[in-house]
Amino acid sequence: MTEPDITHEEQEAGVSPGSRRRWPTRGGLVEGPPRAPGRKSLRIAELALLGAMVALPLIVRDSFVADRFGRYFLLAVFAISVDLIWGFGGVLSFGQAAFFGGAGYVVGMMTTRDWWILPVPFGVALIAGVAAAALLALGVSYFTFSGKGALRGVEFAVVTLAVSVVAERLANAGGQITGGQNGILMRSRLEILGFSFHKGFAFYAFTGLLLIVTYLGVRRFVASRPGLIIRGVRENEDRVDLLGYDVPGVKRRTYVLAGAIAGLAGGLFFVHEGIVSPSAVGVAASTLVLLWVVLGGRGTLIGPIVGAVLLSYLTASLSGTLLDTWLVVVGVILVVVILFFPAGIFGFLTREGRE
Amino acid sequence: MRRTSLVIVSLVLALVGTACQGSGDAGDPIKIGIIADLTGPFTTYGTSLSRSAQLAINEVNEAGGIDGRQVEVIVEDIQTDVAATVDKARKLVQSDNVDLVMGPIGSDANDAAYQTVVQEGSKLLFYTETYEGGKCDPLYFSFGAVPAQQIRPLIPILQGQFGANAMLFGADYVWPRRSFESAKPIIEENEGTVVSELYLPLVAEDFSELVQEVRDKQPDYIFSLYPAVWGAALKALDDAGLLQDVGIGTIFLGDPDYQGIKELAEGSYTALPFFTVAEGTGVQPFLDAYAAKFGEGQIPSGGEGVGAYNAVYLYKQAVEEAGTTEPSAVAEALVGQSFNGPTGNVTMTNQHHLQQTINVVQGQNLEYVLADSFPNMDPEEDCSL
Repeated sequence: MTEPDITHEEQEAGVSPGSRRRWPTRGGLVEGPPRAPGRKSLRIAELALLGAMVALPLIVRDSFVADRFGRYFLLAVFAISVDLIWGFGGVLSFGQAAFFGGAGYVVGMMTTRDWWILPVPFGVALIAGVAAAALLALGVSYFTFSGKGALRGVEFAVVTLAVSVVAERLANAGGQITGGQNGILMRSRLEILGFSFHKGFAFYAFTGLLLIVTYLGVRRFVASRPGLIIRGVRENEDRVDLLGYDVPGVKRRTYVLAGAIAGLAGGLFFVHEGIVSPSAVGVAASTLVLLWVVLGGRGTLIGPIVGAVLLSYLTASLSGTLLDTWLVVVGVILVVVILFFPAGIFGFLTREGRE
Repeated sequence: MRRTSLVIVSLVLALVGTACQGSGDAGDPIKIGIIADLTGPFTTYGTSLSRSAQLAINEVNEAGGIDGRQVEVIVEDIQTDVAATVDKARKLVQSDNVDLVMGPIGSDANDAAYQTVVQEGSKLLFYTETYEGGKCDPLYFSFGAVPAQQIRPLIPILQGQFGANAMLFGADYVWPRRSFESAKPIIEENEGTVVSELYLPLVAEDFSELVQEVRDKQPDYIFSLYPAVWGAALKALDDAGLLQDVGIGTIFLGDPDYQGIKELAEGSYTALPFFTVAEGTGVQPFLDAYAAKFGEGQIPSGGEGVGAYNAVYLYKQAVEEAGTTEPSAVAEALVGQSFNGPTGNVTMTNQHHLQQTINVVQGQNLEYVLADSFPNMDPEEDCSL
């Protein structure tokens, strides 16, 4: 099975011939892989998406439709957080909704409960929600990414699956604290320092900007030096480790960043929803976001945005018109994409998406 | 980077330039929005709710509408999902600008709908499902049965038939827990004893805990609020040879659900507003009209269907009395309205919950037989508006 040009050391480190060959021989990791061939089409896709975002409210002129798409934009931010850790870091997580919904719960509790200094204004609660999501991510990743028992791939995915299940159970069993099965009814609105963006076009504009800022920020991050290392980890963790990089540290930081982004999106999303209930942190929500990423194109950043918006829009509009068959239709679309475009709708855009 | 920021600035300007637009409503038809679980685990109940409401709206339209205005109905599927409930309820309130929202089924979805329709949208919400009670708001009305209405008549029957020792068995969520809190004082009033209280997950896979508990505590009857997989729980008891010796009472097993587990539900009692065997001159016409519109053999389920049917007629009366569809005026006019519905007289109390007839049936020889009927049951809700 082993090709002759693989050394014994490499074999020990788990280097497979395929991954070795894909690696650029000159300069290696620090200079990074050659420029992605899809760069130009990526620019076109970015501009097209931006154009669509600007054009939509001008064409539709319906405040509810704008509100609905604003909602999808927050889900898209959530999807970007998953793409960051999975698409670029290669870390599959079945627990991302624990950060998204968890922040929603923290914001809900801090703005509605009457205890000690609570309730606090929405802005303060949002910061606390993001911090809580980041802390939870740190807690999950602290022991799992480093040390002798460091978990990888499927093992880590199973741990995050457990996080999801536990989170949903806790939310259900939390009695007065989490509101049990019915969850928490929000009392605050999306308003920071007197500036309200709770619904309609203001909500659309705010979430649209947040999406753009998140997209550009994460794009910058993955192109940076730490981003390069995390992409290296995805390609071959042992090799990056052998080169002397702090692999657990880089993975942990990326995971915490992804958790914080998911938390930011969740804190905003559930206040806009007006309610946060156990399904928000559960396995189903965590799986759904993975589907958006797969559909749009893992590791492309722009694909997950389109995946999240498109699938959410289809679900909302199809379930009304195709009562008995909408689930089948959505399922068929997913199967077709995964069978014939395994890299997702936008997989062709970047080198990363081509695997 | 500079080009990007330029584009962002133009995006902001474009958005600022877009203006909000209102929508007119005077003289148009009255719009009723229905949020129902037409797919997912609650399909049976959501379908029954939506169909019964449409049946009543059809009848109202054929008889000249409400105050001369036709009624337009918009049905949205909420997929037994909280997020979808928020989305669809918002669509009805903000985009379709409905005058009234009816539904949904689950009590978590009810919370979500309340938040969206009443708190955010200042519109009327008519909830027609059997639920744990406890919601109290000027724009919120419940047309289903609440714990006191079903439990007060059922407990004496169960004790008379089976004995004084009760076991409370429920799914672990708010409806069973709150209902059992209402049941305990009623059991005590009737000089009964609660020998066991057990909760299992909504959809449990293993009922050995239930079987063990019944063996250990030997209750005379099980008062069950375990709706989702009740058949599986009964099967487990039957397999253990315990079903012969213990009586069963529920407050959820309407006709469509009963059809599937007739053999296991032999001898058990159920209290709900509506059964096909209920007495009253309105029952058969309601069943006939339902079957004529939706197909032979189609029957409405135990509470939500007749609740929605009554709700449409009471709404018509309230709008005609108020002379407007303005929500708070209609709400005011609705209190005290009575209607002679399929199961007899119903009245909207100032508790915003419906005073109505409760029927108790028993499974006998694989058919529901009416055991007793209790007209004008008070909801006993701690709410005064």
